[in-house]
Amino acid sequence: MPGIVYKKWLAVMLAFMALFFTACGEKEAERSKLIMVTNATFPPYEFYQGSSIVGIDADMVREIAKRNDLELVIEDMAFDSVIAAVQTGKADVAASGITVTEDRKKQIDFTTSYVKADQVIIVREGSSIVGPADLKGKRVGVQHGTTGDMYMTENIQEPERFQDGALAVASLVTGKIDAVVLDSAPSEEHVARNKGLVILPESLVSEEYAMAISKSRPELLAMFNKTMAEMKADGTMSAIWARYLDADGKPLAVPAVPEEEKGLWKRMQDSFQTNFVKDNRWKYLVNGFLVTIEISACAVLMGLCIGFLVAVVRSAHDQTGRYKVLNFLCHIYLTVVRGTPVVVQLLIIYFVIFGSVDVSKVLVAIVAFGVNSGAYVAEIIRSGIMAVDSGQMEAGRSLGLSYGTTMRSVILPQAFKNVLPALGNEFIVLLKETSVCGYIALQDLTKGGDIIRSQTYDAFLPLIAVALTYLVVVVCLSQLLKKLENYLKKNER
Amino acid sequence: MNADTILEVRGLVKQFGDHRVIDGVSVGVTRGEVVFLLGPSGAGKSTVMRCMNFLETPTGGEVLFHGQPVDRSENGLNHYRAKVGMVFQHFNLFANLTILDNITLAPVKSGLMTRTEAETQALHLLHRIGLHDKARAYPSQLSGGQKQRVAIVRALAMNPEVLLFDEPTSALDPEMVGEVENLMRELAKDGMTMLVVSHDTDFAMELADRIVFLADGKVVVDAPPSVISASDNSRIRDFFSLR
Repeated sequence: MPGIVYKKWLAVMLAFMALFFTACGEKEAERSKLIMVTNATFPPYEFYQGSSIVGIDADMVREIAKRNDLELVIEDMAFDSVIAAVQTGKADVAASGITVTEDRKKQIDFTTSYVKADQVIIVREGSSIVGPADLKGKRVGVQHGTTGDMYMTENIQEPERFQDGALAVASLVTGKIDAVVLDSAPSEEHVARNKGLVILPESLVSEEYAMAISKSRPELLAMFNKTMAEMKADGTMSAIWARYLDADGKPLAVPAVPEEEKGLWKRMQDSFQTNFVKDNRWKYLVNGFLVTIEISACAVLMGLCIGFLVAVVRSAHDQTGRYKVLNFLCHIYLTVVRGTPVVVQLLIIYFVIFGSVDVSKVLVAIVAFGVNSGAYVAEIIRSGIMAVDSGQMEAGRSLGLSYGTTMRSVILPQAFKNVLPALGNEFIVLLKETSVCGYIALQDLTKGGDIIRSQTYDAFLPLIAVALTYLVVVVCLSQLLKKLENYLKKNER
Repeated sequence: MNADTILEVRGLVKQFGDHRVIDGVSVGVTRGEVVFLLGPSGAGKSTVMRCMNFLETPTGGEVLFHGQPVDRSENGLNHYRAKVGMVFQHFNLFANLTILDNITLAPVKSGLMTRTEAETQALHLLHRIGLHDKARAYPSQLSGGQKQRVAIVRALAMNPEVLLFDEPTSALDPEMVGEVENLMRELAKDGMTMLVVSHDTDFAMELADRIVFLADGKVVVDAPPSVISASDNSRIRDFFSLR
């Protein structure tokens, strides 16, 4: 009875998924948590020091949490996602050097502002751009979603939007763009670390920073404002400021740009030292690698299960006319999943489907990539089933075997062997697709490289290291698949 | 048809779109009988046979097993097909299974035998056709004649009451036709009930108890070989190259 058998498979599948949920969702709540989201590429407000996020915003919220007996959890994500995270309840507060604007006020509530800041213009020394009026028609880089981005877009022209300020500055250094518009404090840091850059004396626009809290949490907003007032009164606020900025508002403890010219080999050595050895930065790559492997492996398994079921339902429908409703559902699934980009699916699953549930991001990524891959695997396996000679099914049926038994014992093993190269290809694609995990603040391999880059302001080595790691994994995977293919081929032909 | 009729179709019709391939064919086979379905290409021989075990769904007419209409439910068909073996033109051995597993799969999966029983039987059958040393080989390692003999043995392993042969030697190289025909001769001698679709008139004249000559989806004649050879129907005489 094929119907019963498929139900059994479905049950196994569901159990499998339930296991994921419990395994990943088990978070004991001993103390109430305060979840802060930020984009930790914004010194001195937020940046990585070793593996922890520090900076003015981070220290401030840490103190607020402490005073209110809350356990602070800081999550690092793309700046253009932090407000959405607060809105959807993924986080309690966004503290990320967020500028107060009228548009943002419609989305969320702001705490009392804690600093006045300027959007300044960074250019290369000797640039023809000497003031805001010269920006028109030039290639201007901004960090995506920042007020610099908004001001440029609304008042001057479409800027080139980068995921973080460091990338924009790196592009300026290499001459890919002519100027960068960025908040004044991080700009000071960037200019201090990159030779040949200057900040124009005239800033583009003045603004205020505040933290963002959901409109549905007035009690939390009141708590923040009250604690911030207390901290200001007792001098804690200025003490936090003094950790990062001197009296003139210039950043402290910025490593000086090496003056003397060094040989290429020496420069490479230094770069290696800074990017991987110092502060154990290689750990970002190793941990990111493990996360990437974990997500890919689980997503592949999930994709195989889904793909397998969908392929069998679709083939059974094509061959016997049964499962009309299931087939229709499968068809919708394939159309939707194959018709939308995986990044969009990932964001929808994170912010919409799991919007109000507290689940681990790894689980979200596994589900997103598993569901995505399932659609492709389904069509691959179905093509494999279709490629098996129809005589094989007829022979099975003529012996009195049911459709299901023939499928399992005869058709699927052959189909699987037929599609192994295509499946292998799909797994390789999946592995590399997981590199968009950073969109939901997951520290996978690519994100690990991004973090190193944001700390060292060096694009070359971290990117090369990340690329090489993917390459090695893919080559190993291809070899394994080749072995499996040969092993299966040994039996026939 | 007499009381010993095992399998019979009555007034069988098969239509593909507007094209009527089978137009009211009635054929039966009694216990121990060897019946050949002959006729020019496109006469509908194979379609009649495929309708007999519902690999094609008949458009009209009846299929009777021991005089009873066949239960066409999923379960009913599986039971029925277990008793009606089929041998295909292209062998259709399961490419992913060893010769031994090809033979034991159906008896084991359908609960007819335990694995041990099925394997003992399979080895015995393979021994009989001289291919016991190929038990662990895969179909691709066998010649066409060997494959077809294994396919026959695979059908026999279900202890069917009747065997259907759909052009069993048409896909074989000439030098391999003999070994398959010899096996069929042996089966006939052992009293196996057989229905054979074939092009081979000489073999039919030798082995058949009865020959059913089909043309244009209709039965032209249904008679023993001796009657066929004495026929004055020009179409039959041409087909059998009788002078």
